[in-house]
Amino acid sequence: MIEQPQSRHSAFQVLTGLLSLPAGARVGIGPILAALTLVAIVLASILAPLYVPYDPLAMNAAARLKPPSDEFLLGTDPYGRDTFSRVMVGGRVSLLIGVGAALVSVAVGLAIGLVAGFFRTADSIIMRIMDSLMAIPAILLAIALVALNGPSLGSVIIAITVPEVPRVVRLVRSVVLSAREEPYVEAAIALGSSMPKILIQHLMPNTMAPLIVQGTYICASAILIEAILSFLGAGVSTEIPTWGNIMAEGRTYFQIKPGLIFWPGLLLSLCILSINLLGDTARDLLDPRMKKREG
Amino acid sequence: MQFKNKDFSNAREVLNVRNLRIGLTGRPQAQPVIDGIDLTIRAGETHCLVGESGSGKSVTSLAAMGLLPKSALEVQSGSIMLDDFEITSASHSQMRQLRARRIAMIFQEPMTALNPVLRVGEQIMEVLNMHSDLSQSEAKKRTLDMMDQVHLPDVNRIFSAFPHQLSGGQRQRIMIAMALILDPDLLIADEPTTALDVTTQLQILKLIAEMQERHGTAVLFITHDMGVVAEIADTVTVMQQGQIVERAPIAELLTNPQKEYTRTLLTAVPNLTPRPARPAAAQSEVVRVAGLDMTYGGGGFLRRSEGVKAAQDVSFTIKPGRTLGIVGESGSGKSTVARAIMRLIDPTAGSVNVAGTEIAQLSRRQLRDHRKHLQIVFQDPYRSLNPRWTVARSLCEGPINFGVPRAEAMRHAAELMELVDLPRDALDRYPHQFSGGQRQRIAIARAVAMKPDLLVADEAVSALDVSVQAQVLDLLDDIQERFGVAMLFITHDLRVAAQICDEVLVMQRGVVVEYGPAGEVLANPRHDYTRNLIEAAPGRHWDFANYRALDSAAMTTGATA
Repeated sequence: MIEQPQSRHSAFQVLTGLLSLPAGARVGIGPILAALTLVAIVLASILAPLYVPYDPLAMNAAARLKPPSDEFLLGTDPYGRDTFSRVMVGGRVSLLIGVGAALVSVAVGLAIGLVAGFFRTADSIIMRIMDSLMAIPAILLAIALVALNGPSLGSVIIAITVPEVPRVVRLVRSVVLSAREEPYVEAAIALGSSMPKILIQHLMPNTMAPLIVQGTYICASAILIEAILSFLGAGVSTEIPTWGNIMAEGRTYFQIKPGLIFWPGLLLSLCILSINLLGDTARDLLDPRMKKREG
Repeated sequence: MQFKNKDFSNAREVLNVRNLRIGLTGRPQAQPVIDGIDLTIRAGETHCLVGESGSGKSVTSLAAMGLLPKSALEVQSGSIMLDDFEITSASHSQMRQLRARRIAMIFQEPMTALNPVLRVGEQIMEVLNMHSDLSQSEAKKRTLDMMDQVHLPDVNRIFSAFPHQLSGGQRQRIMIAMALILDPDLLIADEPTTALDVTTQLQILKLIAEMQERHGTAVLFITHDMGVVAEIADTVTVMQQGQIVERAPIAELLTNPQKEYTRTLLTAVPNLTPRPARPAAAQSEVVRVAGLDMTYGGGGFLRRSEGVKAAQDVSFTIKPGRTLGIVGESGSGKSTVARAIMRLIDPTAGSVNVAGTEIAQLSRRQLRDHRKHLQIVFQDPYRSLNPRWTVARSLCEGPINFGVPRAEAMRHAAELMELVDLPRDALDRYPHQFSGGQRQRIAIARAVAMKPDLLVADEAVSALDVSVQAQVLDLLDDIQERFGVAMLFITHDLRVAAQICDEVLVMQRGVVVEYGPAGEVLANPRHDYTRNLIEAAPGRHWDFANYRALDSAAMTTGATA
């Protein structure tokens, strides 16, 4: 527990490192628009239950496939459910899966990557496992995992995480491989620091910047994969609306009711576009070579 | 010592720098980096620019090449004339014409200055192709001839070699061939021998002098090493913080320096005179190393491979309060020995006994309890401290690992700051806020915080300026006096070893070739290799601190025979 103030300090350092932009660095209008869009979508999704006019699951046989009107803002689906309510509530699950998958894969990948990067013997075994995981197409692996575990929210997150983990492991491992040759790590060994302490206090902070960037990409691709899984019928159960399964259900009616695919698709695209743009911006700002060029 | 004493007053002026001011781009009010310097170099002259890091000597040379990084530095006023051509106002294409043909440059690190994916011969030929209209066969003939002039062996083979296949000395020869192939008027050499071993350094210095003789080139030679200056210079200009402190012909500067700063610089230059022998330590040895072997690689699954024998049968002892120096060139295995003793690598065989415990065969876990007995200071002060940690946190890391309460470790850290002569408030700062010398002090404080029995200094002063080097050596001496710690001092520089070591162990290709009291080894070297090392030490006949030649009685090198 004596370690407490120290680890807080390094976390703080990472934060300031992230937030303090290099002198003269200009963030264009693109990233700002992206950030605003993303904040709007996230807020709208989180607060959705408070303002949507209908229960997204309530069927209404009398109001099947209605066009947009004052009563139903974006119209209704074949079961008479309000599309607007479904899309907004569906965003919550989609975003939850995106953020959840990003956090889980970064956390798991970080732990495995640190071990692989630091211990030579563990490295060869771990990396062969990771290589074989990467050899399997991500979507097929995800479908298989969902089929094994049943279509729950948790199993979808796991299914998306497993194929992402090897990428994170590779990233963390490469950072650790170069950082562990630094004399300050050898000095820490000479000072009698334990392996976990060296891993967490000396090596882990080096991985934070690339991981944050990688995390945003995983988040975007997780939302997309969830949509694909739902579209293929291997996502979360149809009782929970997500952007993916709303589009999946809407596809048979695409010719008469394009809005069923258009609206969730639009939010999905905006969301992924914004996240990727922010990820690119973070990468540029965190890249020390970019910083040097500013100087 | 024989200095050059040619008179250049009638020779043609090749480079003429007048009242040059260079400052940060777009900030004319800020302190200029180069503040009104004058410099004249005549044909056939070697003009040495000496100064510590940050004195502006490299910036001056870049300005003469027209290579200032435009976004950071700009010429604010003054002129640089090459014969009658004004460089400060030249366009890019004019400068391109000028470079190689009229001015050429060689750098400190030939590996990074050469393109790693092109054959070295082609790289030399490219210079010819760009600046002359020789046919391919003529260009190749001229290239081979030039490579011959710089004394490269087997030029046909080396012509088609890649940079990584050559030694550091050979790469620097390639650079020199490339620089001189168009017979420029001015050669700028920016620390060209700093990254080389002493014996190679001597050869390169001789080569530059020879080429200058043959081509009548003017040389602007930038270095921080007064020994090198004594060997090669006609005229010396001493720089400090962007200004010229003193300029004089070499013999005059070394015998009768006028300015205080020059004297400080000269006093700090180590020479080969060993330190006065200290009385034999009373206690018995605290470090005993016997038969240490380190082989990299080897083993093999199907076929037994030989492996690289980095150290073979190394044995020595150190008493408390005494210093053993391990001296050798790169690849001699001196750092391998240091790392094996620290158990940063596991020795293949042999025993290492520190403070009564045999540590060579201990497991990593068992070893941790013994780590406090032996500490190490690394060469590169910029990488040996975690850049994300405050100084206080770095200093406390070790003691806390051994159960010292945080408050007490912090109190001790504050005392250590005083010991290494840094302000107390330095504790809350980060490594990048300190200079190289200060960081090395912090690294030493971190090692001393463990109260070790053995302190290993692995090239601990090699990356520092001479004056800083002298201070850090004093600090190490002071610490040894105070705590009676045994020290293992790894260095490639015999002059530094002479300053601090009681005993010297000379290594060559992993084998100990000579081991004995410092006075003995330096005065009467028995092995040829030791003799070569002493021979090659630049400025070895001159006692810089006392402005006179070393009398031969104090320096019987045996090599004079």
